[in-house]
Amino acid sequence: MIDRALSLARLIAAILIVLVFEDPGIFAEDKPRSDVPLGQGSLSGLEELFQSAQRSVVKLYGAGGMRGLESYQSGVVIGDGNTILTSWSTVLDVDKVRVVTYDGRRLDAEVVGVDPECELALLRVENSKLPGFVLEASYQVRPGQRVFSITNLFGIAAGNEACSYQKGVVMAVSDLQSKYTGLRSVYRGKVIVVDVMTNNPGAAGGALVDLGGRLVGVIGKELRDEQSGIWLNYSIPADVAAASVDRILAGKTRSAGASLTMAKNPHKALDLGMVLIPNVIPKTPVYIDRIRKDSLANRAGIQANDLVLLVNDQRVDSQKSFEQILQTIERGDSFQLLLQRGTELLRVQIRP
Amino acid sequence: MKALRFGSDGEPAIRRHPAMVSRPVNYTANVSSLRRWTSICLVLLGASVSPGVAQQQEASLPQIVSAELALPELAAEVLVAQQRRVEAMRKASMATVGVFGLDSQGGGSGVCISPDGYVLTNFHVSSPFGHRMRCGMNDGKMYEAVVAGIDPTGDLAVLKMFGRDDFPTATMGDSDQIRVGQWCFAAGNPFVLATNLQPTVTYGLISGVRRYQYPSGTILEYSDCIQTDASINPGNSGGPLFNADGELIGINGRCSFEKRGRVNVGVGYAISIKQAMNFYGNLRSGRIVDHATLGFTVATDNQGRVVVSNILESSDAYRRGLRYGDEVLRLGDRDIATANQLKNVLGIFPDYWRVALRYRNEQGVQEAAIRLQSLHQPGELEKIVEGSSEQGAKKAGDTKPAVSKDALADRYESRRGFGNYYFNRLELERIVKLQESRKPSLATSAADDSVQIRIVGSVLGESTSVEARFDLEKIHWTLGDKTTSVPIKGNWGTWIKNQEPMPIAMAMRLWYQWHEQGPRKLGQVIYIGQSPVLGKQGLLDMTRIVLGEVTAEVYTSVASGDIELIELFTDRQTDPAEVYFDYDAASALAPMPSRVRLQYGLESRLVVDLGKLDTLPVVKTEGVPGVQP
Repeated sequence: MIDRALSLARLIAAILIVLVFEDPGIFAEDKPRSDVPLGQGSLSGLEELFQSAQRSVVKLYGAGGMRGLESYQSGVVIGDGNTILTSWSTVLDVDKVRVVTYDGRRLDAEVVGVDPECELALLRVENSKLPGFVLEASYQVRPGQRVFSITNLFGIAAGNEACSYQKGVVMAVSDLQSKYTGLRSVYRGKVIVVDVMTNNPGAAGGALVDLGGRLVGVIGKELRDEQSGIWLNYSIPADVAAASVDRILAGKTRSAGASLTMAKNPHKALDLGMVLIPNVIPKTPVYIDRIRKDSLANRAGIQANDLVLLVNDQRVDSQKSFEQILQTIERGDSFQLLLQRGTELLRVQIRP
Repeated sequence: MKALRFGSDGEPAIRRHPAMVSRPVNYTANVSSLRRWTSICLVLLGASVSPGVAQQQEASLPQIVSAELALPELAAEVLVAQQRRVEAMRKASMATVGVFGLDSQGGGSGVCISPDGYVLTNFHVSSPFGHRMRCGMNDGKMYEAVVAGIDPTGDLAVLKMFGRDDFPTATMGDSDQIRVGQWCFAAGNPFVLATNLQPTVTYGLISGVRRYQYPSGTILEYSDCIQTDASINPGNSGGPLFNADGELIGINGRCSFEKRGRVNVGVGYAISIKQAMNFYGNLRSGRIVDHATLGFTVATDNQGRVVVSNILESSDAYRRGLRYGDEVLRLGDRDIATANQLKNVLGIFPDYWRVALRYRNEQGVQEAAIRLQSLHQPGELEKIVEGSSEQGAKKAGDTKPAVSKDALADRYESRRGFGNYYFNRLELERIVKLQESRKPSLATSAADDSVQIRIVGSVLGESTSVEARFDLEKIHWTLGDKTTSVPIKGNWGTWIKNQEPMPIAMAMRLWYQWHEQGPRKLGQVIYIGQSPVLGKQGLLDMTRIVLGEVTAEVYTSVASGDIELIELFTDRQTDPAEVYFDYDAASALAPMPSRVRLQYGLESRLVVDLGKLDTLPVVKTEGVPGVQP
C-alpha cells in the first residue's frame, strides 16, 4: 500500500515537472510547495505569467466617486511603455489622469485621444519605464481557449499591490449586436465573451491575456442585458483595439497638423440654438440641456440630453474645448458633430 | 494610493461607493425561500437554452472530441492531474463542515481542525445561532455543537462538535507561501444546497494575496487576506479554502458585491490560516478575543518612508524607544513599505502578543519587541456581540428549544466577556493536569502554617547568596546580607514600579503555589490562550491571575506544563517584572527550574542559580515590618 502510494507520488511528481516545463497552461497544476518565501525561487507557469503580465497593467484614478460612478478603472500599457490603452469613461474627465504603476509609482497621464465607437481612449505618460504589451491584431482567441484577466476590479489593489488575477474560458467571439438585445452599449463590434465575472466595477480597461501572456483583449465596461438582467463579461479583441488605436493616433496627427486659426466670425453654441447644461466644473461634458425652436441645431436633429463627442472629428472633452473648437469654424461653414444619444452614436451635419 | 486607505484623518481620501465595501456572506434565509430561489434560477437557466443553441452545441461536439484524440499523450497526464485533484478534494471534503441552526435552518460552513471536534468558522456564521448549533459532515451525519470562543473583529469563531473523538481533520497549509496564480479550491455549503451534507467544491485561482478589506460596519475587518476567483457564495462563509494539494490555507468569509446581488462575482476573500491559527489558542479559551493596536500611528512622508505620526507615551513602543518621526521598517516577519501594510500586518495578531518591531531613528536601525494593546475598550466588544446575538435570536424566533432539554446544556456557561465560559474551565483543567505532574517534592504543603517554604540560590557569576522564603503571611527576600519582606496581600505594585529585585521572590512563590495548589487557588484566574514568548519555540499557554493590585500572566509550556515566564503587571502603562524560568532536565533540582532571571524592559536585572527547595519552621516575629531580625 505504502509502496504504491510512494510510486504514485513519484509518478505525479515526474509528470508535474514535465507539465511545468512543457506547458504553463491549463494543466499546469501547482508543483509541490517549496519552502521559499514569497517572491523568491521558481514560479509555476501561471504564477510567472501573472508576475510578468501584471507589470503592464496600471490602476487609473480620475473623476467620479458618486451616484454609482467609480472614480477608478484599469489600463493596459502598450508599445513603448508610455502609452496606456483604457476604456473611455467619465473617469477620464479630468485634466490629468492619475496612473499608479505595478511598483507603486504615481504618474500623470494626458488623454491623447478617444475612439467613441470602440469606447477606448489612449493616454500618454512620460518616461514610465513600464514594459508594454504588444498590441497585435493577430493575437486572437477562439471559443474554448483559456484566458486570464488582470484588472483592478473593485479598486482592491492600491499603491504597489498587485492587480487581481482571474481565470476564464472564452465562450464566444461575436458581435455585440446590441440593437436586438437588451444590451445597451455604444460599442457594437466584435467582443470576446468569457465564462467568469471579469467585468466588475473598476475592471474596465484591464488586460485579457492568453496562456502565452499575450494581450488578446481589453476588458470592456460593465454591461447588463436590460431584458434578462444578466451581466455580460466581455473584452474588446486585440484586432479591434489595434485598429482603434491606429484611428486615434491618426486623428491626433490630423488635429495637431491642422493650424487652429481663429475664425473671423465664428459659431457660438447659443447662436446655433444649443443650450448646454451649467458649466460648473473644468471638464463639464457637453450635454445639451435644451434646443431652441427654429434653430440650426433643431433643424440638424439635435435633441435635449444629447452629448457632443466630436466636432469635425476633433475630440470635445469639455464645454470649454467645445467653444474653442467652434471658434475656429466660420459662421458660414457647415460642420459635423458626433453625438451620443443614450447608447446610440449619431453623426449630424450643421448646415448654416 | 496610500491616502486611499490611511489618510491622516483616518478617512480615505477617495471615498468608495458605500455599496462597494465587501460584505460577509452569511446566509440565514430559511430553506424554503432558498429552494424557491434556486428553482427560479434553474428555470431561468432552462429557459435560456434555446433550440438554436442546442443545435450549435451538437454541431461543435465532434470537433472537441477530435481535438482530444489528437493529443493522446497529454490525455494521460491530464488524467493523473485530475486524479490528484479529485483525491485532494475528496480528502479536504471530509473535514469540511456545514453549520446549521438547531432547527436545521439557515447555515454556513466550517472546517474541522482537531480530532476531538474543534471547528473554525466565521463569527458572522455562528452569531445568529447564539451558542448552540449543529454541524453536518461528509459522512452524512449531524453533530451537536456549541460555540467556544469568538473573534468579532476578525470574523472568526471556534465551535466544538461532540459525538466522536476521531473527527476527520484538515491538513494545515502555510498561507505565507500562497502566490497569485496558484490553483486553489473552496469547500462548503453555498446556498445551503448540501442537503446530503456533502460539501460543494469550487475551483479557482489565487487572485490576490495580502489584501486588506475595510471593516463592514464597525467590525469584521479582513486583514492580510487571500483573494480568490473560486466561487464563494452565501453559505460558503466560514468554510475552508484549500491549496491545490488540499492543504488548508484560509477561511472564506467575504465577497465583493455591488449591484449584482449577493452572488459570486469572482471576488471572494479568505482569512489566512496563519491569522486563524494565531487566534485559535485564544479562541479555544472560550473568550471574546480582541485584536491589537500598536499605540502609535504612521503616515507616509514625502520621501515615501513610513514614519511615526503619533505615539502614545503610555505605549510599550514608546517605552522601547520609538519616537515621533522614526521610520518603521518591519513588524513581525513582514517588511513595511507603506502605511497600509502596517495596518494589514497588525490585523493578524491577537492583543497581548509581543511582536518584533524594526525601526530606524537618528542612531540607526533598532530592534524591539513590543507588547500589543487591545484594540477595543473593556466592554466594547461584549456590547457588539450582545447586539448581534439579539438580532440572531430574533431571526431564530421561537424555534429555539428550551435550554433545560438540551443535551449539551452542561457544555455552555454564560459569562460576561466570554463566548462560552465552559471552555475556559476546560482549558484550565488541562493546565491543572499538566501542572499536577510537576509538583515540587516537599513533605509539606503551602497550606501548612507551621512551616516556611525556602528557595535558596546564588547570583549568577557572584558569591552573593539569595533566599526567598514564604509562609501564609509574608514573602521574605534576602539578597546578600539584606532582607526585605512583603505581606502576601500587600501593595506589590510599588516594588514593580520601582523595578526592585523583590518581584523575583514573588514570582518564585507563584511558581511554588502554582505547582503545589494549582492555579485556581491563587486568585481570580482566566485562561487567556496561546501567545509567543521571546526566545521560546512556538506558542505557550497563558493564564492570567489577578492578585489584588497586581496581575500575573503565567506562560506555561503546552507540552510539559512548566512555567517559562511570569510577568507581574501593576498597570499596562508600566513595564512589568518579567521572571523567566530555565529548566535543566539533568539537574538534581528537576522538575524545579535551575535558573531564574528577572528583567524589566530590555534590562536583565538579576539572574539567580537555584540551589535547593526546602522548608523551615515559622519564626513568629514582632519586629518592624519589612525587616527580618
